[in-house]
Amino acid sequence: MIMICPGCSCLCDDITIKDGKIFNACRRGEEIFGRYKENRARAMVDGKEVDVDAAIGKAVEILKEAKNPAIYGLDTTVVEAQKLAVELAEKLNAYIDDNSSFCLGELVEAVLKKEMPTATLDDVRDNAYVIIYWGSNPFHSLPRHMSRYSYYPRGAKRPRGYDEDRYLVVVDVRKSETAVLAKKNAKFIQVDDDAELVDSFFKAMDGKAAKYAQDVGIILNEMKKADFNVIFGGLGLKYGLKDLKMFVELVKKLNEVAPVYFIPAGFHANMRGFNETLFEKTGYVNKYSFRDGSSDDSFAFTELLMNEKIDAALIVGTDPIYSLPHDVSAKLGKIKTIVVDPRMSFTARVADVVIPSAISGIEMSGTMVRSDGVRIKLEAIEEREVNDIHILKKIMEGL
Amino acid sequence: MALNPMDIYKLLPKTNCKKCGEATCMSFAFKLLNREKRLEDCKPLYEDKKYERQRKKLEEMLKPLEEATETGLIVNEDLCVGCGNCVVVCPVHVEKDPKGAAVGNGPTIDDPILRVEDGVVKVINMQACRRYGKNRVLCVVCRENCPTDAIRFLEG
Repeated sequence: MIMICPGCSCLCDDITIKDGKIFNACRRGEEIFGRYKENRARAMVDGKEVDVDAAIGKAVEILKEAKNPAIYGLDTTVVEAQKLAVELAEKLNAYIDDNSSFCLGELVEAVLKKEMPTATLDDVRDNAYVIIYWGSNPFHSLPRHMSRYSYYPRGAKRPRGYDEDRYLVVVDVRKSETAVLAKKNAKFIQVDDDAELVDSFFKAMDGKAAKYAQDVGIILNEMKKADFNVIFGGLGLKYGLKDLKMFVELVKKLNEVAPVYFIPAGFHANMRGFNETLFEKTGYVNKYSFRDGSSDDSFAFTELLMNEKIDAALIVGTDPIYSLPHDVSAKLGKIKTIVVDPRMSFTARVADVVIPSAISGIEMSGTMVRSDGVRIKLEAIEEREVNDIHILKKIMEGL
Repeated sequence: MALNPMDIYKLLPKTNCKKCGEATCMSFAFKLLNREKRLEDCKPLYEDKKYERQRKKLEEMLKPLEEATETGLIVNEDLCVGCGNCVVVCPVHVEKDPKGAAVGNGPTIDDPILRVEDGVVKVINMQACRRYGKNRVLCVVCRENCPTDAIRFLEG
């Protein structure tokens, strides 16, 4: 059986399951396929086990009573469920946000608004010469990114692969596992401040002296050799730069020297799917308030929690108690929480209502969007009736 | 840790007694590393009490030889994350599997040298490796491109 892995935004489509063994999946993917039956959530209201319909009924009740509800998460579910969640938020006049508000939302937004030229990962494999990982360590976030799409594979126009037909650049504040791989035909730039490197690129293009002028000069010369170069931007890029505009300007200016494309790298399986779904509907990628009809930093779920702006939250497929700082997640105790999750997550253990769901891509078929924007259809191993789509539809009907 | 014949030689009796069938202790050290000889073939090391300490050190030092495959490859599964870099870079895979491993997918041939199984890399078909047999090439690309040093070779 050939499956698509919903483990990260690579959405690898060559996972083979045969005789109880999982082939080709990385450790992260194997965890999902091999252990999806463990630690499953049970329907609960106020810590007591109930049936699913009762839990959904209680969730509807909470949402009806809430004055300022928020919907949060959705990065690991399918596009079809994300669309329903956006409709639900509209109906409730609620806030809606996902992890991208503190992850790579801004970078995806710039790509969706066509501020930077982008390409698909298949184009990268076939054509890319200079490959820059900027503030991204795929070893942790996207284990098979380098071997499937970028540096290592042999592509149509790059038949000698990493041996001679690629040039790898890793930009990071530390010597990461990815930086260790920058050996032959490669360069590792250890930066103190990403803005200095952006500045060096600008100055080097104008022929002026700069801190990283020597390294940048070599990279620019390499870029000129090819008609396809790519920058993968990760969290280090987002948090390294105070203002992302200078990076967008840099990509534009680099394109005057040689074709350079940008692809965000390193996030949940369908985070880009959420960004695109909300963008189609509202023109913004995250932290949106249907009541105000706009997006703002203060509408990010973390900010709403910190400032005690919400009184109820519908959390779908994410675990804020695990992923957010304690100061922020502790505030969940002050509001009513409804958790829709296949697993008994930390948040589910303290939630007012827990609705057990299906694991997207394994127990629920649907569409997900890869990090480069390609839509991929996932087929379930075994369909489960009570999944995110079913639950969100039921809540919608109840309202 | 890398093994080299000089380190082995230093712990041998260095008497060139020829009881093992080799002309010199140095040549015996090389054959030990290539697994053509075993430590037990060195008779004085086991018969003479004064070599006991050296023998124990050697036994400790040669332990990785037992876990290594015939090409000297050692995979530490605890360190492997299954990124598949080794599978994709292997020149033998590129030649035999141009539509699979060569372009970044999982191997489509039945007998790849390395394959990612249950999230970690496993050695499947050692005989196909360029390091196997008499006319071997000391290729190390899989080790060179492993981000965690999960792949090692005996010689380092």
